[in-house]
Amino acid sequence: MKIEIISFGKIAEFISNQKIDIAEIADTDNLKIHLESLFPELRGMKYKFALNNQLVQVNSRINHNDILAIMPPFSGG
Amino acid sequence: MSAERYNRQIILKGFGEVAQQQLLKAKVLVIGAGGLGCPALQYLAAAGIGHLGIVDDDTISLSNLHRQILFTTADIGKLKTEVAAKRLQEMNPQIGIVTHPIRLQKSNILDILSRYDYILDGTDNFESRYLINDACALLNKPLIFAAVSGFEGQLAIFNATDNLAITTNYRDIFPVPPGKGEIPNCAENGVLGVLPGIIGTMAAAETIKLITKTGEPLSNKILNYNLLTHQQYIINISQGNNYVLPKTVAEFLNMEYQDTCEAPYGYEEIDTTALTKLRQQESVILIDVREKHEVPILDKQVFTQVPMSELNAFITKGFSQKHVVLICQHGIRSVAAAETLQEKFGNSKKIYSLKGGIVKWRDYFIRP
Repeated sequence: MKIEIISFGKIAEFISNQKIDIAEIADTDNLKIHLESLFPELRGMKYKFALNNQLVQVNSRINHNDILAIMPPFSGG
Repeated sequence: MSAERYNRQIILKGFGEVAQQQLLKAKVLVIGAGGLGCPALQYLAAAGIGHLGIVDDDTISLSNLHRQILFTTADIGKLKTEVAAKRLQEMNPQIGIVTHPIRLQKSNILDILSRYDYILDGTDNFESRYLINDACALLNKPLIFAAVSGFEGQLAIFNATDNLAITTNYRDIFPVPPGKGEIPNCAENGVLGVLPGIIGTMAAAETIKLITKTGEPLSNKILNYNLLTHQQYIINISQGNNYVLPKTVAEFLNMEYQDTCEAPYGYEEIDTTALTKLRQQESVILIDVREKHEVPILDKQVFTQVPMSELNAFITKGFSQKHVVLICQHGIRSVAAAETLQEKFGNSKKIYSLKGGIVKWRDYFIRP
C-alpha cells in the first residue's frame, strides 16, 4: 500500500514530501512507530498527524493513496 | 465615520455598509507588535476597526526593522506600543487605539482580554501562546492564531463556532508545549522579513472575515503556508480529549506556564529518564566533569572524563557527537560546563546537564 507524506517546518528538513510504500501497516498508530524508526529525529518531537486533511485524534485506518501530513508546532512571530 | 475613507470596501460586493459598521463596533486586541503584529495592526487600523488594543512590553531594536515595518531607525529604543499607536493613529485618526505596554501573565491577562471581542496572537514564544490560548478558551473569546518558522507559517482560528457548532483550541492540536529548545524561534533560526508580513496580513484578513461573517474564516482549521513554493495545506481540527484546559479562573491561576517555552540558554537540564533515552541516540557523548579523584568512579568506557580544569582544552580539540550530556557530583558544575559549551557550539550541538548530579541519582550510576 502506498501513501503520500507531506511534512512541515523542522520535520520537512528530514522527511521530504514523498510517496512511500508502507506494506502491511494499516493504521496511524503503527505508522507512527514505523516512521519513528525510519526517521529517528521524529522521536521526542511534538508533532501531529493529519490524514486526508483531518487531524488524527484517535488511531485511524489508513487506505491506499491516503495523504498523511506531519505537522510540528510553530511559535515564531 | 467618514464613508469616503472606507469607500472602496463599502462599494465592494459582498462587503458593504453593514460590514463596515461591524468593523467600527469591533474591539480587537493584537498581542505582540512584532513581525506578525505590525502588518496585522496596519491593515486592521486602515480597515476601520473601531477599538484596537496593542500589547507588547518590548522596545524597538535594530534587528527588528527588517520585518517590523511600523518602526523606523529613529524609533530604536522606544516602546513598540507607543510608536505603533502613534503611527496607526496618524494613519487613521477615526479609530480608538489603546496601548498595554506590559507582558501578559496569569495575573493580568483575563482582565485585559475581557475588554475585547477578538484576540490576535502574534507573539513569538510558546509560553505566551499557551497562556493566551487557555485565557481565550476560558473567556470564550475568538482567537486568531498566527505563527512562523523558517519559510513557513501557520494560521488558525480557535474558540469560534463553525457551521457544525463545535469549537476547538490550540491544545486540541498540541496538548502541551514542546520541550526547551525543541523548536527554534526566529531569534535563533532567522526569518525572512516578508514571511511574517504575509502571515500577519492573512491574520488581519481572517479577523475582518470573522467580524463581518464574510467568506469562510479558518475556524477550526489550521493553514500551513510555505513561502518558497506557495503551497498551502489546510487541516480540519477536531476536538481532542487528552489535555488539561483550565475551566475556572481558580484553575487558570493554578496552571504552570513558566519554563515551558524555549530555554533562555541553549542547554537543557534533564533527569535520568531523559538520560536513558538520550543514551539510545547514535551521536551522544556523556562527559563527567568532576576532578579525577572524586568518587564514585564511573565506567570510563561510557563516561568520558573531562575535569572542569581541562574543559576548554577539550572543547578546542573538538568532538563529533551532536548530543552532549554533562554530569558532575551535584549538577552545579555541569551547568557551568553546559554554559561554556553553549557559548562555543551554539545550536550546532544539543547540550544537557544532569540536574542534581550523581548524588541525586546515585542508584542509576551505582548498580549493586
